[in-house]
Amino acid sequence: MTAQTEPMATRWLGDSSLKDRLIAALPLIVLIALVAVVSAQQPNFLGMSNVRGLLEGLAPILLLAIGQTFVILTGGIDLSFAVVSSLSTVLLALWLPEIGPVAVVLVPLITLGTGLLTGIVVAVAQVPSFIVTLGAMGLWSGVALTLSSASTIRISEGYQAIGWITDMRIAGLPVSALIAIALAVIAAVAFKTLSRGRTLHAMGLAEKALLMSGNSTRMIRIAAFGMCGLFSGLAGLVLASSQYSGGPTLGDTLMLPAIAAVVIGGNAITGGVGGPMKTLVGALIIIVLRVGLSAIGVPAAYEQIVYGAIIVGAVVLTIDRSRLGIVK
Amino acid sequence: MSRSDLVSSAPGVDLRKIQRLFGTGGPLVALVVLVAFFSLASSTFFTLGNGSSLLTQLSILLVVAIGLTFVIILGSLDLSIEGVMASSSLVFVLLAANDRNDSDLGFLAVIAGVLTGSLFGLLNGVLHVHLKIPSFMVTLGTGAIGIGIATVLFGGRAPRLMDDSLRDLGFGSLGGIPKLAIIAVIVLTIALLVQRFTRVGRYGYAIGGDEQVMKLSGVNINRYKVLSFVLTGTASGIAGVMAALQLGVGDVTIGGGYLFTAITAVVLGGTALVGGIGGVGRTLVGAAIITVLANGLILIGVNPYVQVAVQGLVIVLAVAVTGWSLRKRVRAIK
Amino acid sequence: MNDVVLEVRNLRKEFRGVVALDDISFEVRRHEVVGLIGENGAGKSTLLKILSGVYQPDGGEILRMGQTVSFKTAGDSAAAGIGMVHQEQSLVTSVSVAENIFLGEEGRGVRGGVFRWGELRRMAQAQLDKIKSPILPKAKVESLTFAERQMVELAKALSVEERAENEPVIVLDEPTSVLEGDELEVLFEQIERLRKFASIIFVSHRLDEVLRISDRVYVFKDGQQVAVRNRNEVDTDELHRLMVGRESTSEFYHEGAQLSVEGNPVLLEVSGLSKHKAFEDVSFALRAGEVVGIAGVLGSGREELSRVLFGAEPFSSGTIELDGRGLPLRSPVEAVKVGIGYIPAERRIEGVAQGMSVQENIFLADPSTVSRGPFLDARKAAAEADRWVKGLKIKTPNRQTDVANLSGGNQQKVVLAKWLSSPRLRVLILDHPTRGLDVGAKEDVYRFIRELCARGIGVVLLADTLEETIALSHTILVMRDGVVQNRFDAHPGNKPKPVDLVEGMV
Repeated sequence: MTAQTEPMATRWLGDSSLKDRLIAALPLIVLIALVAVVSAQQPNFLGMSNVRGLLEGLAPILLLAIGQTFVILTGGIDLSFAVVSSLSTVLLALWLPEIGPVAVVLVPLITLGTGLLTGIVVAVAQVPSFIVTLGAMGLWSGVALTLSSASTIRISEGYQAIGWITDMRIAGLPVSALIAIALAVIAAVAFKTLSRGRTLHAMGLAEKALLMSGNSTRMIRIAAFGMCGLFSGLAGLVLASSQYSGGPTLGDTLMLPAIAAVVIGGNAITGGVGGPMKTLVGALIIIVLRVGLSAIGVPAAYEQIVYGAIIVGAVVLTIDRSRLGIVK
Repeated sequence: MSRSDLVSSAPGVDLRKIQRLFGTGGPLVALVVLVAFFSLASSTFFTLGNGSSLLTQLSILLVVAIGLTFVIILGSLDLSIEGVMASSSLVFVLLAANDRNDSDLGFLAVIAGVLTGSLFGLLNGVLHVHLKIPSFMVTLGTGAIGIGIATVLFGGRAPRLMDDSLRDLGFGSLGGIPKLAIIAVIVLTIALLVQRFTRVGRYGYAIGGDEQVMKLSGVNINRYKVLSFVLTGTASGIAGVMAALQLGVGDVTIGGGYLFTAITAVVLGGTALVGGIGGVGRTLVGAAIITVLANGLILIGVNPYVQVAVQGLVIVLAVAVTGWSLRKRVRAIK
Repeated sequence: MNDVVLEVRNLRKEFRGVVALDDISFEVRRHEVVGLIGENGAGKSTLLKILSGVYQPDGGEILRMGQTVSFKTAGDSAAAGIGMVHQEQSLVTSVSVAENIFLGEEGRGVRGGVFRWGELRRMAQAQLDKIKSPILPKAKVESLTFAERQMVELAKALSVEERAENEPVIVLDEPTSVLEGDELEVLFEQIERLRKFASIIFVSHRLDEVLRISDRVYVFKDGQQVAVRNRNEVDTDELHRLMVGRESTSEFYHEGAQLSVEGNPVLLEVSGLSKHKAFEDVSFALRAGEVVGIAGVLGSGREELSRVLFGAEPFSSGTIELDGRGLPLRSPVEAVKVGIGYIPAERRIEGVAQGMSVQENIFLADPSTVSRGPFLDARKAAAEADRWVKGLKIKTPNRQTDVANLSGGNQQKVVLAKWLSSPRLRVLILDHPTRGLDVGAKEDVYRFIRELCARGIGVVLLADTLEETIALSHTILVMRDGVVQNRFDAHPGNKPKPVDLVEGMV
């Protein structure tokens, strides 16, 4: 009761609202500043070929990050999402020669299934998602390693079913990135216009109140994890296409940048605050940062440190302390 | 219904019995069964040579898992272990006599490696406690930072440890017992004492059991939480140095796989991820089970990657089973 | 004045504009047992929390042995020799009895950061010996019964004796609610023994117990101290009257607006409903437009009953029928689907969705009236939200305001609007609907209950006070220990007296 009282008081005074607004706008400011700085260093940074290169790297990170956004909005997290995308590349590599284009549909459905499964365990057993998904991370990684005998599988036969993802251009821009951006926009529009569009946010803000108003928080949670799984599979399609192969750890290195994209975009790790458009901004920041760091001469070895610092720093800025009771 | 019915309904008396059995007796029984099974299934399992290699394999995992136990008892988690081990191993090797630079600090390098871990622990604890970020999130970030620092130090080629007396710590043995195992026993002993006799050890149980009550009692919880993270970081630092001693190099991937195995070991031993229950002693049993399982399965020819999958399942099952009786219709678990 | 060991002068405490303690004065004399009574929300708990250093007062002062003191933490209060036995148990179940008794204040039990177990257990044994308890210091608290835990709490409270230079003041907050029979007698013996070297503040809702054990009794009402009586000058009836007494009650509760429900169809029929370890064989029928009030103290089972009726908790046997059709009620989702609503006691957590706007909260349960297909009809939603804000006089800057910024009373109106806006609503369960509200907001809630009834909605009411229950209900069930003890017809002009109800409650 007391823990709730004080932040309320500051809310009443309204002195935090300017700060809140600034923080909300911060990701976009950071993105613009980054682009400006990098453009100053590399005058042709915003040139067509460079932008194309940037966007090619965007799709898998953005897809993973959008998926994760669904879960983070509910206040949970799915640590297994990158591993699931690796698994999906292995499945694609194994199945494309056998069943061709059907695999392109089947694999995302399977990762949808793994996501739903995670959601069911979290919702039914009522255990924290970070532990369940940590376990799931081991499980699916083990499955991927076993299926692939721990080696990269080249895709040659049946590649044309996914080749278009990398090769196709619309107005000179890679179709994979355009699709990913379109999916982010569709999700954002859905959140805005559906009569129950704010349900995921409500889940993160006030799960009990949502349930006590007759909404099935169990189904909502399962659906959020399902979406995360589905998007991990889509990211896997892009990865497999661009790498001409499936590999049991192919997507693993995207875990940190994708989580970093979600949080630096302004999605609160405590849930309820944010959305796919924020994630899009976050993913763009990460992509520009990658290129920008090397442009200003920072060795690639420092990339991990940057991601780590971004995750911690962005969480500090976006976390809603007034909602926190005991933090474990 | 009389009032005494309501009063005597202290929840889950039977459950406690079950937990006591599986929490302490169960894992031990499982360990004995596993040893017996593999001794029969593989002629090489119960040999002196394999025993020694089992001990070496157990040592590092045990140290990591012991450290992890301290934060898990709080109900928190430390995902930075692998990154911390990587940084520690490289700091250690680069400060000891090595084939990269002229440094030759000898035993001081060991201390520097361990302290690297302690510093990471301090950073984890302070960020988690004072900025109120969930511990798994903090340590996800600092783990990446640890890997990053290690990558920077690594510089493309693994530096080799050239200090002979230190190398002997990694390869040598004393009366047939690997020296690494002796280090692990020392760490275990200290950890048991810390857990039993110090405030950080005892308050850890109380914080994990009921943090709200601890707050009301006026104890400076933050201090003991941070200290617990320092203990975990220190143990990871020790483990990083031990791994470098064992392999003779410092490496970015030196901690690869330990996080997962250590969490599984802690949970299998009977320390609950919700906090408040368990202990370092149980972790010894859990780590032994994992080590025997890993070693035995390889001896009888099981694909090692299946084990990774099984460990993942074990973690999920362990939390689901221990939390099953706490389920309610109206409950928000993120 | 030397005889006064603890005194509180003109103490004041507000929570977000709601006055919880209003100019309270209170004193405890040497070796005295002081009773403290009052209804829920009278300010007892707030006073105790200030005395134990959990809350800081907004005004007034606390004197210990005539010296002004200020308790910033629980430790300060304990160091001044004030020991608390909390109502909600304050033990860490995962560690031993000895550790709990000295949690954070181990003294000689810890030297140089190292636990000396032998010493700590001896110290704990000494505390347990004071109350002649056979509990072992090394036992884990989780292995103890609730009654035994209460004894450990007492031993813990007594440990302030050694820490303070003055004789201790022991505060017992509703210590008898989980005790019975022999355990109760043991507690009273202990209190008699304690008073030889300590002073005691005894808080309870069982008036007979308070009168039996206390030398003087303070009566709190609505955050004010309304009376002090010596034991021999007062009886339980008078205490009760002092505790609830209010002027012009029927007007306050809009009793004139209460309509007869005779001949109305039965909406909800509950038969033989039982929940293991909570309540047993509860049956009643709720007619359209009727208010069924359920009275009972904490532990009577009425809270669980109300949650079972909303599907928030499972029941073990019996039936719940709506319009003659059985309901499995496996979750609140099913309850809402058939038109059962619930206004929870935990308003901030289960009632409003903090962080979401007033408008979003209003349509959280049923957005069907403002939807076009699966999409939100934004213009209609805005108009409807404004209509509810105006109709229920919700004080808010606008419909987009975060509901967390509203006062408790206005939040409660938002919760009401959430259910009223649903055309499906048939039955509304009100669990302490006026808790923590100021008088004006309470009156509004009463008026809305009348309006609900006029619309033909059935209401199950768990009120904060007996007076509320009596004034608002058509039928009253009195529960004790999970069993319905009495039923009262409370139609207009046929209202029972509070004392009639009390009989079945304790």
